[in-house]
Amino acid sequence: MTATELAGFAGLYEASAAARATEPRWLRELRDGAFSSLNELGLPTARDEDWRFTPLKPVTSQAWVLPGKADVSSAEIAPFLFGVAGPLLVLVDGRFEPRLSRLGGLPAGVRVEPLSAVIAGDPAAHEHVGRYADHHSRAFLALNAALFADGALVRLEPGARLAEPLHVLHVSTGGGALCCPRLTIELGEQAELSLLESYAGVGAGARLVNAVTEQVLARGAQLRHIRLLRETEQGVFLGWQEVRIERDAMLASHSLALGAHFARAETSAMLRGEGASCDLKGLVLARGRQHMDHQLLVDHVRPRCTSRQLYRSVVDERARSVFAGRIVVRPGAIGTDASQQNNNLLLSDDARVDTKPQLEIYADDVKCSHGATSGRLDPAALFFLRSRGLDVPSARSLLTYAFANDVVESAPVPQVRAALEQLVRAHFAGVLGE
Amino acid sequence: MSKLLEIKDLHVAVNGTEIVHGISLAVNAGEVHAIMGTNGSGKSTLTKAIAGHPDYQITSGDILLHGKSILKLEPEERAREGVFLAFQYPVEVPGVSNLYFLRTALNAMRKHRGQPEASGAEFLALVKEKAKLVEMDQALLNRSVNEGFSGGEKKRNEIFQMTVLEPVLGLLDESDSGLDIDALRIVAQGVNAMRSPSRSFVLVTHYQRLLDHIQPDYVHVLMDGRIVKSGRKELALELEQKGYAWIEQGAGSR
Ligand SMILES: Nc1ncnc2c1ncn2[C@@H]1O[C@H](COP(=O)(O)OP(=O)(O)OP(=O)(O)O)[C@@H](O)[C@H]1O
Ligand SMILES: [Mg+2]
Repeated sequence: MTATELAGFAGLYEASAAARATEPRWLRELRDGAFSSLNELGLPTARDEDWRFTPLKPVTSQAWVLPGKADVSSAEIAPFLFGVAGPLLVLVDGRFEPRLSRLGGLPAGVRVEPLSAVIAGDPAAHEHVGRYADHHSRAFLALNAALFADGALVRLEPGARLAEPLHVLHVSTGGGALCCPRLTIELGEQAELSLLESYAGVGAGARLVNAVTEQVLARGAQLRHIRLLRETEQGVFLGWQEVRIERDAMLASHSLALGAHFARAETSAMLRGEGASCDLKGLVLARGRQHMDHQLLVDHVRPRCTSRQLYRSVVDERARSVFAGRIVVRPGAIGTDASQQNNNLLLSDDARVDTKPQLEIYADDVKCSHGATSGRLDPAALFFLRSRGLDVPSARSLLTYAFANDVVESAPVPQVRAALEQLVRAHFAGVLGE
Repeated sequence: MSKLLEIKDLHVAVNGTEIVHGISLAVNAGEVHAIMGTNGSGKSTLTKAIAGHPDYQITSGDILLHGKSILKLEPEERAREGVFLAFQYPVEVPGVSNLYFLRTALNAMRKHRGQPEASGAEFLALVKEKAKLVEMDQALLNRSVNEGFSGGEKKRNEIFQMTVLEPVLGLLDESDSGLDIDALRIVAQGVNAMRSPSRSFVLVTHYQRLLDHIQPDYVHVLMDGRIVKSGRKELALELEQKGYAWIEQGAGSR
């Protein structure tokens, strides 16, 4: 049934044969394995429960090509930088771009390297590449493993810290290219990292970004992470975030989906050691015919772990936002403290939101809560602001920003908070015609 | 004396049901009018209709400010012309800081009057002065509008906004209810400090107590969407003693 759709990807796999031929054997085997899994799995369809609200048409209705060599200037990426001082790793169409990157002067115990360099030069590369997210279980994970050209590997030794945030910026340039970037973060015990992961689009034409991010936190490690989606109106984004959190480690991860024609962002977080915690927040700002889908799984494996999910979306015009949040509390995971909130603000009659909480609790003595709301701006608040002299666009924008601000103001990388606020405000100015 | 507010045979409906059945009222510049009346008699409906609430349809009659009809004006335009409604039930606006919103409001007013926007320093000085006048806790100013405020704090916040925005017509809908004795005195002080020959107030209240602090020029009694009796401030005392039944018996004989 998916044969014709897959045929496109099979063709791309063929086309990448020459590049693959020079790769180490373990990687060739990994790719072949992934590709055969892709063939077995086929692409998801509307019959798959997880994909019920998200038709794959934007992915399947186009014949994608492997990216060619694209030139991106530093002026073009400037709007996507935050003026922060830390290291910067830029990938263009899934390939490392040294000219735009800034990786010098890293402190001891911190390694930030393009994946291609690791694969070519590190005999232990196979211990880090393709090791965490299971590329045999999901089609787009398989596709990424089969076709990724490059990416980044970030490793912090135990106790290592980076004072400034690391920015990994992926830039797509269009032209119908399929990009499969891969980002793997390994934090040793007690290591601490702030990470900005941006997906930006420049240039004209469609592009499909099929990204995989792996975040592995050893005991006591802390990762503060912001993923910012600023693809173009022709950008199709598929993202998989695989998280493993060991004892007493902490992840704070915010997803801000501002741009892309279509986005499907999946997070699978496993709390694998006692006292581990994760705080997942997300903000979707969608308009036009944008479709933004967030799928979360938080898996409480061990006792006394804490998880928070707060996802908000502001949906205007004919846009659509989907949220599915699943919390699993495994047998024995006593003392679990999990909560999930999904709030949606609909700014037009044609906007649509689908929200689906899912709790699977197999342990006693746990605290689990969830709640979802969808609604319009509060008319009483709107009238109140107007009665104080604010015109309708200002009042709407103020209330809409207030709704979104809960997520923005708690962004876990304080260095970029002001810049994010600016971005969100500017976005509303556009939405609300201010 | 010039009429600041004139209401002419006003009929107001909500969802097609008429609630105000023909009210006429003239408030001269500098005057304070009190409106009393039974629960559900239409006092809040009247004030919201003056402020331009979209749920309240004026089915006939007119509202004039300084001799000009405001019926066609949007609520924000009425506000910029100087109409201010202190709500009976102030709304909570999570995520919108009191000061940020108030500065936006003040600048909207100023722009309308052709005045320059208030600078940050100017605004803060103004806020400090007015907060002192109504003894508004500085900590509340930085919080979201009314979020988690006590009932009394919300009421005081309405009056605080009024002192900053300096309207020409203050409509106070039960600003006294829920206030403790000291707060009532402070709020009344704030209103009295604003009284001037060019500014008028309409106070909706259930209690004589407020009128001890803010002396009204006239008192009107509203029942079932009509003004059934008007008088001087002594009327409020009489009502306090005799209750509304006393008027009901003689309703229509005003
Ligand atoms: N938005 C509305 N929807 C439906 N009914 C309304 C609405 N607003 C007012 N009413 C009705 O109109 C009548 C007058 O209400 P209003 O709030 O004006 O009374 P009030 O005189 O202010 O009373 P109170 O002293 O209790 O504050 C009531 O019967 C009320 O239920
Ligand atoms: Mg009332």
